Amino acid sequence: MARILFDNVTKYYGSVKAVDSLNLEIKDKEFLVLLGPSGCGKTTTLNMIAGLEELSEGDIYFDEEIVNFMPPHIRDVAMVFQSYALYPHKNVYENIAFGLRMRKYNKSEIDGRVRDAAERLHIEHLLDRFPSQLSGGQRQRVALGRAMVRQPSVFLMDEPLSNLDAALRISMRAEIKQLHHSMQTTFVYVTHDQAEALTLADRIVVMKDGVVQQIGTPDEIYEKPTNLFVASFLGNPPINLLEGKLAVEDGKAFFTKGNFLMEFPGDVITKLSSHAGKSVTLGIRPEDVNEKGEAATGTVVSGTVNTVLPMGSEQYLSMTIEGTEVFFRLGKELKHKDGDHISLDVNRNRLHIFDKETGESLIWG
Amino acid sequence: MTTQLTDFSKRTEKYRNKSRTSENARSFFIFIFSVIILIYVLAPVGWLVSSSLQSEAEIVSVPPHWIPEEPTLKNFDAIFFQEFKDVTYETRRKVDPAAGGYIPSTAKDLIPSMWNSFIISVSVVILNLVVGIPAAYAMAKIRFWGRQASVYTILTTRVIPDIALVVPFFLVIKNLGLLDNVLSLIITYLAVTVPFTVFILVSYFESLPDELDKAARVDGCSRFQTMINVFLPLALPSLVAVTLFAFLTSWNEFLLALMFTQTIASQTLPIVVASFTSDFTISFSFINAAGVVAIVPPVILAIFFERYIVSGLTAGAVKG
Repeated sequence: MARILFDNVTKYYGSVKAVDSLNLEIKDKEFLVLLGPSGCGKTTTLNMIAGLEELSEGDIYFDEEIVNFMPPHIRDVAMVFQSYALYPHKNVYENIAFGLRMRKYNKSEIDGRVRDAAERLHIEHLLDRFPSQLSGGQRQRVALGRAMVRQPSVFLMDEPLSNLDAALRISMRAEIKQLHHSMQTTFVYVTHDQAEALTLADRIVVMKDGVVQQIGTPDEIYEKPTNLFVASFLGNPPINLLEGKLAVEDGKAFFTKGNFLMEFPGDVITKLSSHAGKSVTLGIRPEDVNEKGEAATGTVVSGTVNTVLPMGSEQYLSMTIEGTEVFFRLGKELKHKDGDHISLDVNRNRLHIFDKETGESLIWG
Repeated sequence: MTTQLTDFSKRTEKYRNKSRTSENARSFFIFIFSVIILIYVLAPVGWLVSSSLQSEAEIVSVPPHWIPEEPTLKNFDAIFFQEFKDVTYETRRKVDPAAGGYIPSTAKDLIPSMWNSFIISVSVVILNLVVGIPAAYAMAKIRFWGRQASVYTILTTRVIPDIALVVPFFLVIKNLGLLDNVLSLIITYLAVTVPFTVFILVSYFESLPDELDKAARVDGCSRFQTMINVFLPLALPSLVAVTLFAFLTSWNEFLLALMFTQTIASQTLPIVVASFTSDFTISFSFINAAGVVAIVPPVILAIFFERYIVSGLTAGAVKG
């Protein structure tokens, strides 16, 4: 029902650039997640879609129409806020009905829609209560209901799950995903939680300091990060980073740091050869290793286990490579103790390497 | 082990008793102080009410009678029903002031002046809300150039004492041709009360989350509708506070009223009550009866809004 296009949009707060020349097309019915640390401009971007913030430069289109100066109540958008922002003086029914009343729907239509939304969100029994009498999860549902009933063409969510406890957050994620399927409308979702982004998104936009770092599907973002920031922002525990040099010899490419050596697989050598001798950062995701007995140089990381951190379903091992502490994730069936010497085979097709100066990926950039 | 347990329970008992004693002492002192402050605040009002029911002779008796020995409604009767008697230098001795029969020459103005005061106070309250609410909403929730400056400018105007403003006000009112017109007081009282109204409401609106404002606007409210549908109902306690403040300020104001009014066309209650002392003699009983009449409207207002007052006056203070 609505495609949203950012054409070179910039937003200043005073002299601070909150969003810097944003070019982004959000497809109709897409679930797009804006991901980034706080202050990266993701909420500002969302507010600009809603019309709550004016843009300083550029244009925003809904389908073919420029909406730069269209006030929020004219745009067909609904929004869910982190703090829920329920009207404290209205009961649940009136909270949900408010948007419809403002748009002059008739009484029976309003009643039908409110009860339908309440049923879908399992809050029929709460309609007479006031927000102060609800738990966090219930308030979140009311906020969702309030946005849902209007059947907007764009559904905006600003960290809607951040104030919920961990267990509830996971079940609400599933519900939001179902909501997207059933509503068949464009969703734009802001979060700083990478797990949320990876679970929900059709596409993720990673932002930092008002600048888009990478746009892609969750798999692309996770497996082919185009720069160091994206690589380190996603993943738990975070990606292991080692600073060293890139060496290219005899048609082979190596990462070297002191005595540590890692050989890159053949298919990326052409991309790396032009960077020979550069200072680089090697990235190894904690899960991209397997247990291996023998120590073959260039394909394994080996060392002494500093600490074993059992996590129930799995375990993390920490070891030190050339002065840098790294973490690896292994199945719990492997029995290691602190102080054991081990070698781990690295899945070298999933290695990441970044230019130390620019942070750009030399493989995926 | 057993001895240790006994020790513990003894100690617990000791602390329990100690805390009970100190708790009782605390309550007692708080009670005593409350009584002292209550007497301090209420004694003048008590004397006002009591003496309004006394004859002139009883009022001046020593020691004073806190409870009237011969309560009389003559003073009120004089205000509401007695025909005006022209008192001149010659006739003033015919009625003995000490007997309570003396009525000041301006007594007939009391009820009309009360009406003036009422019109002025209500107008000031309404205009305060009409001007103050949108101003405060804008300053609290809309980002515009010069927002901080306008908040401070409005506050600064309250630093200047009213007496310093009398002359400029007088010139403005005179040039507008509004001397001896209730409009002159409505205009000047607005200048005095609106800054306070805006200040209280700004701090209250600021304490309401921005997301509430955003939610309402996304839900389909224009800025104006957001203010009316969401912010006003939530600001009710503060609105009551500013209503009372504006009403009481206008009801009690003396200085400006003294400057701008000349006849009963615009004179307010405080002016007329004060004029009772400027005749040939002073009738305490009559003045006190007039005083009782004067406090009735504010008291009714306060009782009516009582449940909102406390939360309203502290609302601004929470987020200073």
